[in-house]
Amino acid sequence: MALLPFLVVALLYEIIPLIMVIMNSFQSDAGTGITLENYQTIAEKLLYQKAIFNSIRISLISSLGGIVVAFLGAKAIAESKGKIANLFMTILNMVSNFAGVPLAFAYMVLLGNAGFMVHVGQKLGISALADFNLYTSDGMSMIYIYFQIPLATLLLVPAFAGIRKEWKEAVALLGGKEGLFWRKVGIPVLMPEILGTFSVLFANALAAYATVYALMMNNISLLPIQIAGSYVGEVKTRPGLGGALSVVMMVLMCLMILLTNRMSRHFQKGGNPS
Amino acid sequence: MKKKTKATTFLMVLIMAYLLLPLVVTIVYSLFQKWTDIVPEQFSLGSYVIILQDKEFLLCIVRTLAACVIPIGITVCIILLAMFVTTVYFPSLDKYVQIICMIPYTIQGVILSVSILSAYIRAGSFLGNRLVMLFGAYSVIIMPYIYQGIKNGMSAINVKVLTEAAEMLGAARMYAFFRIIVPNILSSIVVSALLAVGIIFGDYVLVRNLTGTSFQNMQIYLYQTMKSDSTKASAVFVIIMLITCLITAVTLYLKNKEREK
Repeated sequence: MALLPFLVVALLYEIIPLIMVIMNSFQSDAGTGITLENYQTIAEKLLYQKAIFNSIRISLISSLGGIVVAFLGAKAIAESKGKIANLFMTILNMVSNFAGVPLAFAYMVLLGNAGFMVHVGQKLGISALADFNLYTSDGMSMIYIYFQIPLATLLLVPAFAGIRKEWKEAVALLGGKEGLFWRKVGIPVLMPEILGTFSVLFANALAAYATVYALMMNNISLLPIQIAGSYVGEVKTRPGLGGALSVVMMVLMCLMILLTNRMSRHFQKGGNPS
Repeated sequence: MKKKTKATTFLMVLIMAYLLLPLVVTIVYSLFQKWTDIVPEQFSLGSYVIILQDKEFLLCIVRTLAACVIPIGITVCIILLAMFVTTVYFPSLDKYVQIICMIPYTIQGVILSVSILSAYIRAGSFLGNRLVMLFGAYSVIIMPYIYQGIKNGMSAINVKVLTEAAEMLGAARMYAFFRIIVPNILSSIVVSALLAVGIIFGDYVLVRNLTGTSFQNMQIYLYQTMKSDSTKASAVFVIIMLITCLITAVTLYLKNKEREK
């Protein structure tokens, strides 16, 4: 009996809607009956191909960028443990909630057409800053990397506790430099956590909507924008197509989780990647 | 060794500077009237005065608050009830409760909002009410955090022994759970509820897709002002960030206190 309220809420707002979306994706927006028409449209139309391609591209770039910085940051935290590391952790926690519309706005003030950095670039003659255009896919990648860094670092920090001092000493005793330690011991040991974090970042970037929408409205071709557009569209809604796009997005996320799980199993077995 | 410490410190300072730059610039922007050179001019708190006198903005704060309190209350209650059943009567069901609670984590805002929209937009009854849809969506989207929080709290105490002890002393199971277990894990519940506040507070996707602009929360307000008046928007931004920081600070403080225990 006590389970009932939970099941009702979960059914009404999670399970039934999800099933509806999947069912919608197999229904034509024009006629009736079960069809693969929507998936065919996605496969054929350049607009949707581009949306999928752009989404994967920006998710991969931002996840890679985020994880590299996060690795260095988490490593620094593990190695210093002083007051600075505490401050760093506090700031990471603070900034991890900094996303969506506020982030978009801050970047507009910073790097938009009349942004602060653009002024600085003009005054100091740095053309890379003066001519920077935020409203492009490169500009978007920058913002994505920004919100990936705190999340990635916070996820990676606990993993570094598993790196034992003795291993470093053993490598040093055998004449290995620190670089060798990280290449041959540190990174392979941390690989399962790194891959797990990567898949979280990928999903995070793939589903990100508010930040891009606030800056670009519908003028950029990305999966979440197309999905939302086909339901809350200006002219008419296309639930079938939106459903199919949602399914594509969920499949992409699942694929990434499967892929990273597989790869990390390889590392957990102690296999040598090289 | 000394050189290395300096390098790690430098790296951390660099990342911190990078992360704080957009925040600091926007805060400075909100405090000055003119900023066409490198140094801003004409300090003024005018934009704060304007928005704090704007009734619409104050209403947004109230709406955002309501949108936090109601769904979080609902989710905490239903998950506690569900956990009561799974821990006391059917431990084997916990697996399924966990799966249901984790699904929102993977589907996230966009898909959740459009699926709820497509399921109920044509429903005539209260289910078709956009506010009901929004609160339902919020209740679902925070499930992973609330579930994990309660679960962590329960794993820190011995639920079984406590319940049995209470039963031996003549308490009903329901009574034992809600009067003994729940007070013991209250701090974990509060921490996870605060995490959920952070999520709902920062939400734009769900509120926009589900209610259009009819339920104006602070994020929608910021979005609309940033399109028209960026000085005013920067003051809204600072207030949003202040509230966010406050939520984070309280969460961190409670978490640390719990760890010390």
